[in-house]
Amino acid sequence: MSTPFIQCRELTRTYTRGTERITPLDKLDLDIDRGQFVALMGPSGSGKTTLLNLLAGIDSPTEGELLIGDTPVHSLSRGRLAAWRADHVGYIFQLYNLVPVLNAYENVELPLLLQSITRQERHRRVSNAMEAVGITDRHKHYPRQLSGGQEQRVAIARAIVTEPDLLLCDEPTGDLDRETATSIMDLLQRLNRDEGRTIVMVTHDPATTRWADTLLHLEKGRLLEHEEVTT
Amino acid sequence: MRILPFEYAVRNLGRSPARLLLTVGGSALVVLLVLTATGFVNGMQAAFVTSGRDANIILMGSGSEESIERSEVSMQTSGIVAASVPGLIKRAGIDAVSPEAHVAIPIKGIGEEGTMSVIRGVEPPAFLVHDEVRVIAGRPPRSGGNELLLGRLVARSMGFDPPELAIGTMLEIDEDPYEVVGVLEAEGGVAEGELWTSLTDLMATSQRDSISCVVVSMDDAKPADIEAFAATRLDLELIAMPEVDYYAKLSAFFRPIALMVLVTAALIAIGAVLGGLNTTYAAFASRVREIGTLQTLGYSRQAIALSLIQESLLAAAIGTLIACGLGAWLLDEVVVQFSMGAFGLRIDAAVIAWGLGTGLVLGVIGAILPAWRCLRLPIAESLKAGE
Ligand SMILES: Nc1ncnc2c1ncn2[C@@H]1O[C@H](COP(=O)(O)OP(=O)(O)OP(=O)(O)O)[C@@H](O)[C@H]1O
Ligand SMILES: [Mg+2]
Repeated sequence: MSTPFIQCRELTRTYTRGTERITPLDKLDLDIDRGQFVALMGPSGSGKTTLLNLLAGIDSPTEGELLIGDTPVHSLSRGRLAAWRADHVGYIFQLYNLVPVLNAYENVELPLLLQSITRQERHRRVSNAMEAVGITDRHKHYPRQLSGGQEQRVAIARAIVTEPDLLLCDEPTGDLDRETATSIMDLLQRLNRDEGRTIVMVTHDPATTRWADTLLHLEKGRLLEHEEVTT
Repeated sequence: MRILPFEYAVRNLGRSPARLLLTVGGSALVVLLVLTATGFVNGMQAAFVTSGRDANIILMGSGSEESIERSEVSMQTSGIVAASVPGLIKRAGIDAVSPEAHVAIPIKGIGEEGTMSVIRGVEPPAFLVHDEVRVIAGRPPRSGGNELLLGRLVARSMGFDPPELAIGTMLEIDEDPYEVVGVLEAEGGVAEGELWTSLTDLMATSQRDSISCVVVSMDDAKPADIEAFAATRLDLELIAMPEVDYYAKLSAFFRPIALMVLVTAALIAIGAVLGGLNTTYAAFASRVREIGTLQTLGYSRQAIALSLIQESLLAAAIGTLIACGLGAWLLDEVVVQFSMGAFGLRIDAAVIAWGLGTGLVLGVIGAILPAWRCLRLPIAESLKAGE
């Protein structure tokens, strides 16, 4: 058996506010294999976003270890983390978080500006990413000129343009209607199946879990059950 | 470090036109204020520095060293000095010995009520002694004609631009009519803020029987020679003071005012910056989630801070350039009237450099604190902003 792509060992995140201590993530052990599509569910406040942020390297664990690939993410400095994120992680938000003063093309191009590649190569990759999410005809549109579904497609294009190993999605369809949500889920599944991207997706909507191959339940910072979803 | 495209900073400026206008206008006002204050001090210093000539010694009534206007010297002094002190400059038969009356009186025709102005009664040697003075239009005043040679700044403060348009204007000094026959320039010296007339005419008008001082220009003579002359002729009650020292003293007298002007300007500028900080902070704070997103994408805090500073600097630079343009156009040579004359604001390269420097500091300081406040948030918290 090969080693898992993501290994969480007693992963803990504690917030201290005054005398109050909140531990949204409590000694979590979790392995995720390369190419897995994990859906993460749980009640509000159960630590889903906290876990996702740790996996994304935008937050650091208070205790425990987090290995992604060969990288000990828990021990990276702030600057190293930023560089690591740029190369390895694509983050997809519930509210898209596109930059309003940049058009669709420029939004997708943004993470590529952090890499040492030529202009032509950049253009090729942006075009490919936009084609992959089906918004080739919206290059020049600004976020406010796009529908929610289109905005999320641009956001996904931005997340995959650097060809990261890991895609993290925090309620990616939370703000979309059923039909649009379905097409976004189809898109994520394609990225998972055809391109082998590992996906961890937080969701509140049980209907979206059928696209995933693994369903995890988080409650009070601990995993409840490990259950394979039959697809 | 990988930085954000400059374009991003430029477009962010356009996000709130009202705020942009506020920042540009605010920095323009602060820079204008700094230009005015430094131009004021610069003009004042230049006037005193230009007016004090190394070769000149002023002979004043002993006991009135601090002010020529209050000094009284006997009419015969100049003749006695010319005859007794060898080694003074002499040109075309004229000794560089200039008897002068400096009188501060209100002149009707300048200002509404008649502004207090310094009028200087002179004889031809005055132009030899004060070689910074040049008649730029018209001619010097003739004795007996009640004629005036107007300092360039006086003409300007009366609204004559170019100043030679003042020629022909009638003014009233102590109920005597005087006619403007020429305009003088003095390389920024105090004479530019004075009105020169014939010594005898002024003596008649002001009903004085003594003059204020005698100014001499030394050739081979040493200051000690003239001091010795003043010391031996006790009957004349004279003291000799190098002209440079006189204006240095005057300059020292006005230094507290200059300091006050600079401090006031600095305080107002600091107040404006503090006010501006809020505006900038509001602008950045409304974008905290976007800042968190950029960090998630892999941009470093330094890269984002740099972009925010670029943005603020750009707005400040627009304001600064407007202010420097306006300053050079409108403020240069604006006349400042004070009890003992006038001088012009002097907006030169050094003053403009101060203005540009202020704008630069404004742009950077104005962004660093707000940027730091927004960037010190943990990314996870930034991403929740505005939810
Ligand atoms: N910066 C913080 N400071 C203090 N407590 C925090 C912070 N961030 C999160 N928490 C707490 O951690 C717990 C888990 O938060 P988290 O955002 O991970 O929940 P979640 O499972 O994503 O919930 P939801 O489904 O509502 O998004 C909550 O109780 C929350 O109040
Ligand atoms: Mg959440």
